[in-house]
Amino acid sequence: MQKKLYITPILLALFSIAIILISLQLDTSPEMIVGDSMQARSFPIFLMVINLILICFLALQFFKNYPKIIELEIFTTWFSMFLFLLFYFLTITTDMFIGIMVCMFLMGYTWGEKRLWVNICNAIITPGSIFVLFDYVLRIRFPRGMLTNIYYG
Amino acid sequence: MVELSAMASVFTDPYLIALIFATTILGVIIGVLPGLGATTGAALLLPFTLTMEPVQAIAVLSTIYVSATFAGSITAILINTPGTSASAATTFDGYPLAQKGEAGRALGIAVVSSTIGGVFSIIVLCIAAPLLARVAYEFRPPEYFALTVFGLSMLASISAGGATKNLIGGIFGVWLSTIGAERVTNVERFMFGNYELYEGLSFVPVFIGLFAISELLVQSKTVNQIVETIALKAVKLPTKEDYKKIWKTILRSCGIGTFIGILPAEGATVASMIGYSEARRWSKNKEEFGKGAIEGIAGAEAANNAATGGAMVPTMVLGIPGSGTTAIILVGLMVHGLRPGAYLFTEQVDTVYQIFGSMLLANFMFMAMGLYAAKLFARVSLIPRATLWPIVFALSVIGAYAIQQSTLDIWIALIFGVIGFFARRHGFAVAPIAVGLILGEMVETNLQNSLKMFDGEWWMILTQPLAAFFLILAFLGLCGPYIYSLIIKQKN
Repeated sequence: MQKKLYITPILLALFSIAIILISLQLDTSPEMIVGDSMQARSFPIFLMVINLILICFLALQFFKNYPKIIELEIFTTWFSMFLFLLFYFLTITTDMFIGIMVCMFLMGYTWGEKRLWVNICNAIITPGSIFVLFDYVLRIRFPRGMLTNIYYG
Repeated sequence: MVELSAMASVFTDPYLIALIFATTILGVIIGVLPGLGATTGAALLLPFTLTMEPVQAIAVLSTIYVSATFAGSITAILINTPGTSASAATTFDGYPLAQKGEAGRALGIAVVSSTIGGVFSIIVLCIAAPLLARVAYEFRPPEYFALTVFGLSMLASISAGGATKNLIGGIFGVWLSTIGAERVTNVERFMFGNYELYEGLSFVPVFIGLFAISELLVQSKTVNQIVETIALKAVKLPTKEDYKKIWKTILRSCGIGTFIGILPAEGATVASMIGYSEARRWSKNKEEFGKGAIEGIAGAEAANNAATGGAMVPTMVLGIPGSGTTAIILVGLMVHGLRPGAYLFTEQVDTVYQIFGSMLLANFMFMAMGLYAAKLFARVSLIPRATLWPIVFALSVIGAYAIQQSTLDIWIALIFGVIGFFARRHGFAVAPIAVGLILGEMVETNLQNSLKMFDGEWWMILTQPLAAFFLILAFLGLCGPYIYSLIIKQKN
């Protein structure tokens, strides 16, 4: 078994332990509020204990059955995740719709659509029509930004 | 009578008919696009139903469910790529038959079998749901607690992922439901100072992230995939000879699919696989299977569509989703102020039967579209991924925002998209996380109430006959396969 395949149960176990530790820090409520029920921390701890038992089973299965080798993600996957970060940055600094347009354009381009006009049309028409639909039909107001400020005034 | 007139009212409401017609087209398009299944489609469309009446909103979501489940078979037969996981079994015989130049016949059998399966399951839904609701009136917190534990235990047998991985996913989902203020004591849990999480995680952005955005990242790995399609002249209805060969298979798969759909957390994928394998087991021409056996297509398609109606039974009566898509429909019910459970069948009988009626109408509509427009819809599957998935990205982020008009929900959707992607890459299915999230609150609340009922003596839950029955079922569901395999090993 490759060492990196152990990472899954190890990470899951660490996560469960972290949740148990955080749960132990939660406030306790007075007996007269809780009564015969349980403290707020009890349920998450109970869940994570079950999770740890299941993770042990999972690790045992890893010993018995060699899991499929996990391939490394190709460039487009990592770049798409980077686009999520870029979208976050653009949304908080400029406008949500600028973020969507830029990300749609870059996503289309890196995924193989090399015709610029197709990407530009897709990046403008799609968010534009969704905006119209949500604003006129569903009456939903979008967060203010450079573009929406112009529209909302 | 009230029930029948409520159902019939759907067929006389022009607005609802138009809405279901448009949604069926959309559902079929969603179904034929590989990667965009019924669950992703329903998650993306949920925000668009916000301003609709409850019946219209649930009709839209359930229409997407039934039509996309059927439409997956179009690409399964024509390009050997199931549009939805529920159509995976259809590729086994559908594509080989299409390769023999009989794509039209394969699609005709798929359309007819799917429609019969869907209609059969809705009839069962209309009969079984009120009966189950009557039983559910008697349920108290211990019974509900045991039932939700049973629902969670059934996650072990969801087709994707392994039993252990699915259960870990389910537990993770239940833990997610503990984020926010605890309901009895108001103690803040896992909020890390973010008061927007006080009411807990909103289901919709989590679902959009888990189903739509994670699928986007999965699809980003297949951008260079070349799709080969088989030419289709026209869809042919099955002949008398075909019907003679498949009617028993269809009936059997209707029963199998509906029963599997009713089981909490099971869905159309499991149903189609079992429907297919049972069709093979009972067939006189086993050697034809895998080479274009029409019984194989009928078995898989009747079962997967029969599961759609079946899955609505626990969803509407018990508030326990029967599949990933019904988890979203359940959220849709809650968003529109409908309280899933036994009382829905006394307080809002009209609404319930209008929803059933719209599902029935959707079945007839996708049949018509399958017969007359499959050729056209098959072309939709050739839309380049580089154009389609950026649109899904835009729909996802705006949809996540729209429910509560909160930017935090966008970040939640994106984060859960990445979590869902890595989970899937490591062999974990995302549906158990979604089901766990929905059932989480029910489990905790009913456990708390049960403890109060029995003065903190948890074992008293086992003294309640129905609760004990569900817990035994849960135990058997979890350990049964292991015990069975041990017995088989011993015998061998």
